[in-house]
This record gives sequence, structure tokens and C-alpha cells, in this order.
Amino acid sequence: MKLYKKEGNIVQILSFPNETVEKGDYLSIETVDTRKKLIIQVIDVQFADIPGILEELLRSLPDGGESIQGEDFDPLEIAPHITFVQDARLLRCKIRATIENETLSPSNSWLPSRSQSTIKKLSIPTLLKFSKNDENLPIVLGGTKDSMLLTIAASSLDGRLNIITGKKETGKSHLSKLLMLNLVRYGATVVVFDLNGEYISLGRTSDGKRNADYDKIHVLTPSENFRVALKQLNLHVLLNILIHALHLPGTSAREFRRIWRSLRERGKLTLHELGEAIRNWSCNHHVRDALFSRYHALINSGFFTDEVNEGLLLEKNLFKASEEGGAIIINLRNTSRIDRQIVVEFLLGRLVELLTSWKLKAIFLFAEEAHLYLRETYWDDIVTRMRHFGIFTTFVTNQPDTIRGNIYRQADNIFLFNFTNEHDLETVSRASRVDAETIKSIARDLPPHYCLVLGKVVKDFPMVVKVKSLDIKTMGETRLFFKDIN
Amino acid sequence: MIQQVTITTTPKYNFPLSTIDPSLPQRLTEQSIHSLKHTQNQPFQLNQQIFQYKNNLEEQIQTTQIELQPILLRPRLEETVVTAVDTSSIKIGETSKGMLIAVRGASVWKHKRNYKYSRIGPFIFNVTEENRKEVYNALQKEYFSSSHEDNHYGSPSLLQMPTRIANLLERWLQAAITKTINNGLILFDGSLTSGITGTSTWRTQKILNAARERENTILAFSKMTSLRFNGYLITDVLLKHRPPYLFEIAGLKPKPPVVLLGDVYVARLANRNYAFRLDIDKKLPIKRKIKAVEKLLGNDLCPQSYPETLRLAHILCTFTANEVIAMQHFITQKFNLRIINRPDMHRLLFGPFGKGEICS
Repeated sequence: MKLYKKEGNIVQILSFPNETVEKGDYLSIETVDTRKKLIIQVIDVQFADIPGILEELLRSLPDGGESIQGEDFDPLEIAPHITFVQDARLLRCKIRATIENETLSPSNSWLPSRSQSTIKKLSIPTLLKFSKNDENLPIVLGGTKDSMLLTIAASSLDGRLNIITGKKETGKSHLSKLLMLNLVRYGATVVVFDLNGEYISLGRTSDGKRNADYDKIHVLTPSENFRVALKQLNLHVLLNILIHALHLPGTSAREFRRIWRSLRERGKLTLHELGEAIRNWSCNHHVRDALFSRYHALINSGFFTDEVNEGLLLEKNLFKASEEGGAIIINLRNTSRIDRQIVVEFLLGRLVELLTSWKLKAIFLFAEEAHLYLRETYWDDIVTRMRHFGIFTTFVTNQPDTIRGNIYRQADNIFLFNFTNEHDLETVSRASRVDAETIKSIARDLPPHYCLVLGKVVKDFPMVVKVKSLDIKTMGETRLFFKDIN
Repeated sequence: MIQQVTITTTPKYNFPLSTIDPSLPQRLTEQSIHSLKHTQNQPFQLNQQIFQYKNNLEEQIQTTQIELQPILLRPRLEETVVTAVDTSSIKIGETSKGMLIAVRGASVWKHKRNYKYSRIGPFIFNVTEENRKEVYNALQKEYFSSSHEDNHYGSPSLLQMPTRIANLLERWLQAAITKTINNGLILFDGSLTSGITGTSTWRTQKILNAARERENTILAFSKMTSLRFNGYLITDVLLKHRPPYLFEIAGLKPKPPVVLLGDVYVARLANRNYAFRLDIDKKLPIKRKIKAVEKLLGNDLCPQSYPETLRLAHILCTFTANEVIAMQHFITQKFNLRIINRPDMHRLLFGPFGKGEICS
């Protein structure tokens, strides 16, 4: 390989066919006498602009398309050299850092010698060693293209906002499960909003047997084993449900607050009493109608109960998970849109309560396709307020434009799978952890199950990894009509 | 009766050499390697102004008469093999004592609407003042050992070496073709003028005789000509007739030792205003000459009055820039030559106006 050109933070390297370099690979440019190395990453592989190549191609197609047939008597065997020159490639690389005296710095002001430099491939473990990657609490994400393991530190997900995105069937949920299980094994408390029931069998191996994580996976299905008693609810949590999930107008909300206080003072916080109180409450009949319709929505969700014991399972599981690590899977598979919003409003409100009162230390929240249940104002809360309470969110989506631009800009880590759509790539490229060109060029060509990892987990060195497989029972597979038809 | 092609497949490449002495390519290879070995570990400088040499000899012929009555042509569709031969040479660099050159030849044949080619080379030589005689004489002796006539011209100068070695290869290819096909058309690049340096009369006559023996007709097309009539180039003379047609340039008087072995015509074979000098074997009867051109029209494409087979032969033997780079790479790798960058004096002195020796 030879250093050809440098423009801004783009370096062009001339590479020959016997050198196997792919998009995403790291190279080091070293000049012997300076003891400095420039760390660059290949973001595109192009054909080198070899003089005479057009003539070479044209003369092989003399008759309007069909190749002329013939043979060459080439006694000196020049042909391999011609192929060698014709297949020369130009590597477009981004400068990532400089190593000086074995110390990494993000500076790229140094320009190595064009004629005296040696260019070598840099393995991912070597790069991570230079970047002084935290080796405690390792999570093996998978293998790199050169068959090295890519390990990230669980602590690098702590207190961070993460995004896992990519088009359908590229392996997003798989990576999410991998991260989640590893966090659980290190004793973390994880809450998952499971939209398609994909996480409910994480405690079982692919052949259906219980695995080591079985006792740490707690599946809560709303209105089945996950209910809440009115007595356990705080007024502001219920008001959030009424206002944000059920769109109760402000005037009606004020009346509801009065009704609630009245019932609480009388110790009659039951569903039946609430209905009676609304019916008999002295107020405008429009307000009463509004309150009644929301009351029936709450009743129909099946999520609310008068039995206090039924409502204790969430907290029980959360406390258990906080002691020994565990995941609370909120199975939203058969839940309607409104009911989903009710459950999520309740859960987030409850989590904030528990975290504020330090009953819980912190939780990792995994939210699949959050736009389907998360209200608008929560997006800002998640990137600003929630992390101060100790809620560290990982969004998982195949529609990157459903996540707001400010979330991308503030995301600490992005796990990016393949996207071919320009619009999707444009959306993700708003992430501030890396330049748009890297994202667009590398993500477009990622094969399934390969992920471009960006952000603090990889010390801001974008890396491509093939996510390792998990021996868990897969759920959430697409139901196929022709599956069993030969 | 449909004529059968006599082209056979050889184990090495699909070019009919079974009746031909293959010693010239072998000698070319030997001389090539031998000369390059003497260059080993030496510095060499990339040629700053790479250009290809083509044989463009000044003809010493006076034109006196032009036959303004055209010979109108009708394409003959009877199936005939059309073959063409061309060679090319290029200087690929300089050494301290001489230069590195490469030659390559190509033969193309068209049969049943398909073109096929056979390329020989490139052969790379390191020619110096010391070895030029040795290299040239060894190659010449191998193929034209019976010719005393060639020694008459002596060995070429260093600058003539690329053209002269390419000429040797071209004559060898032409001879090989004439001995291989029957009832075919053989297209040469250039004229049938001989007797000047590098184009021996004896050698050309031998090729023409061999062609005649096998009922082949040699048609030599010149892309450029310096023959003039009334001050105008003969190819610029336009007759008020629809192409395709020929008109003869008669009464040509070459100055000795130049000999014309062909009758000279101007061929306008397509509607566009392109015309070429065409030489056809003098010893053939006029009817056969005309029939040969008509067969060419019926069997090959001539969209610009120039046969496609010959065009392909030229294209296939010409060196492209990336091939030059590859040959320089080969020499560096195989013979451990060090490339040095001597300043280009034209560029140094004249900046952007320094276009190199070819334009100086």
C-alpha cells in the first residue's frame, strides 16, 4: 500500500490486489524516523484511476458489446502484472487519530511521508489496546472481519443513551438481547418494552430448556400477571395516563383531581367507587362525559384492579432484579395502542418514583419501536431528565426517522445495521459521534448481522462486527404462509 | 462450395503455427531475457514522454499519373477468411547505457461474422550501443538466415531499434499467415514498397510468393501517405462517384533501391470522405485484385473505408498506458531495476510549454 493523497481528514491509499482491505478496516501509516503513526479507517474502496484503462476495456469489446475471443502468447508473463496494475484500488480513508510515543490523540495535524511511510493493517484488539479500552465487565459483541473478537465494557453502556437501528431482519433485536443478557449477568436491572413478544423466552435455550438466565427473566403481561391497584397509584401518574395516553382536557383533569382527593380522603379508592363518584359529581355534563369515557377506557384495559396483591408483582420483580440482576420484560404483544400507552405511562412514572426515592439504583431500559407507545414529551425527558434519575435507555427501531434528531445528536452509542435507503442513512448520519460520510458509506454495504458500532463503547473508533449468535429460543419470527408447503 | 478455413488449433494458442518455424518467438524471448539480465540491479528512468513508434518511412516515389476513371466495386458475399497483421513498439524507459523497449504483434481473423485474435508479446528488450547489433542480428539470423540482403543494411541505430525489431516481428507474423490460410484475404498495415531500411525486397517478395501459392491476396492499407498528385495528397482526390470504388495511381517511379511490389490504388470503400492508399500484389491479374477488394467489402466491415479486421489488429497490438506501467512493474520486480526520477529537461526549462522530445 502507498500513501497517495491527503485532503482535509481524508487520506487516499493506493492498494494492490494482493492486499486484502475492506471497508471499515483500520490502517496505520508509520514513518520510521518520527515514531508517529496515523490511524485511518477505510470508508470506501474504489478502483484506482489507472491511465489507459478505458482503452483497455474498449478494445476488448470491438463489436458493439460482444467480447473478442483470442489468445495471448505472453512468454515473459507480463499479463499478471497488467492485471495487478488494472486491479489496483484506491482506499478512501478517514483519519481517526495519531499515535505518538504509544499515546493516542485525536489530532490529525501531522502528515506522514508519502515516499517513506509504511502502511499496515491494524487489528481491532491492537487499536482497542492503544485506545485503553476498559477491560472490566467485558461484553463480547462478536467477531470482526479479521476473526478477532470485539469486546466492549458493560460500563460503557452505563449512564448512556444508545440506539440500535437498521432495516428489517438485519439483527437489531438479536444485538439488543445480547446486550441485555450481558447486563443482567453483571447484576444490572433491565426493563424491556417488548412490542412483539420477542424477549419472553430469553430464559430458555433454542431447544426450549431452561438456561442459566431463566430465574432472572421476569415476563409481565399487562392485564394478565401485570395489573395495578388504584390504591398503589400516585395521582400524578394517573393524571399523566389520563392526559397523555387518553387525552383528557385540562378542565376535566382538574375535576378528576378533586374526585381522586375526595375518594382518597374517604379511603374509597376502588374502581367501582371511582365510577360512582364521577356519576354523582357535581360538574358540567361535558366534563362528566369526558371523565366517564376515560374511566371506561381504564376499566376496559384490564390493567387496573382493586386487588393490591395483584399489583405488587412489578415491584417484587424489580427489587429482586436490583439485588441479583434481572430483566423485567413488559410483554406488549397483544396490547392495543391505547393500553400500551397506559402501561408505559404507568411504568415510567413508577420507575421514576422508585428511582427518586432510591429504592432502585438505576435501570437499563430497552425500548423497541418506542414511537408506538412513547408520548412526544418523553423523548426530551429521556435524553435530559431521565438519565439523572438513573434510566439509561436503548432505543431499537427499523424506522430511524421515528427517533428525533436531537436524540441522535445526544446518543452516546449507536449500533447501526444495514440501511440502503438514502433517507434512513441521512437520518442516522445526524449522530454527532461520527461523520456522515462514514455512516453512509459503511452502513450501506453491511451484510446481515454485521453492525457498525459507533460511540463511547468503541472509544469513538467506528468498528464493524458480526454479532455473535445466542443460544436462546427465538420468538417474534415472521409468521410465514408458505413455510410448510413444499 | 463453401471454402473451408485451414486454421487449426495449436496446443499453446489458437494460432496456426504448425507449418511455421516458431524459432523467432523463441529467439525474441531469449534475447529479451538475455538483454534484461544485463540490466539487473541498475537504475532506470521512466520514460518521461512515452510514445509509440510506428513505421512511417518516407517514400521516395514520384507520382506522375492518376487514373481518374474509377473502378466501381460490388461487395462479394462469398465466404472468405479475412486476416490482418500489425505490430507495435514502445520505449518504456531509459537505462544508463540505452533504453528499454517493448514490442508486440497481433493477428486478427474474421470468419463467419466472428473476430478472433492472437497476440504475441510483449517482448521487452534492453538495447544499448553495445548489444544492439547482437540483439538485432540474432533475431534476424534466426528467421531470415538465408537472406544476405538484410546484412546489406547493417544493424539499426539505437533509436531505430524499436521499429526494426517490430518490423522483424511483423514480417514473421505476415509470413506465418500467408503459409497458413488458403483463398483468404491478408491485410497488411502499410504499403508494399520495399528496398528501404528495414523492408527488404527479398523478404517482401517471399511473403507475396507464399501468399500467391495458396491463392491468398495481400491487401496493404496505408493510414498515411505522402504520395501527391498535382500537389494534392492522392487520398484527397475526390471523384464524382458513389463509393465503394478504387482508382489506380499509375506511372509511379520509385528511386532505387526503392521497389514497388504492389500496384497502388486509392480505396474509398464507404460513403464517408475517408480514403486510403491500397497496395495490391503487382503480379496478380487486375480481375483478381478487384475481386479481392470486393470480397473484403462482402466479408468485413469497412465503415470508414478501413477494414475492421486491420483496425482491430492495430488496436490489439498497441500498448496502453496501464500496460506500460505493468511492464515497468515487471522489470522492477523481476530484474530488480531501480527506478530513478531524472528531471525532465523539457519540463524543467519550459514548464507547461515543455511537451517533450516528440514535439521538440
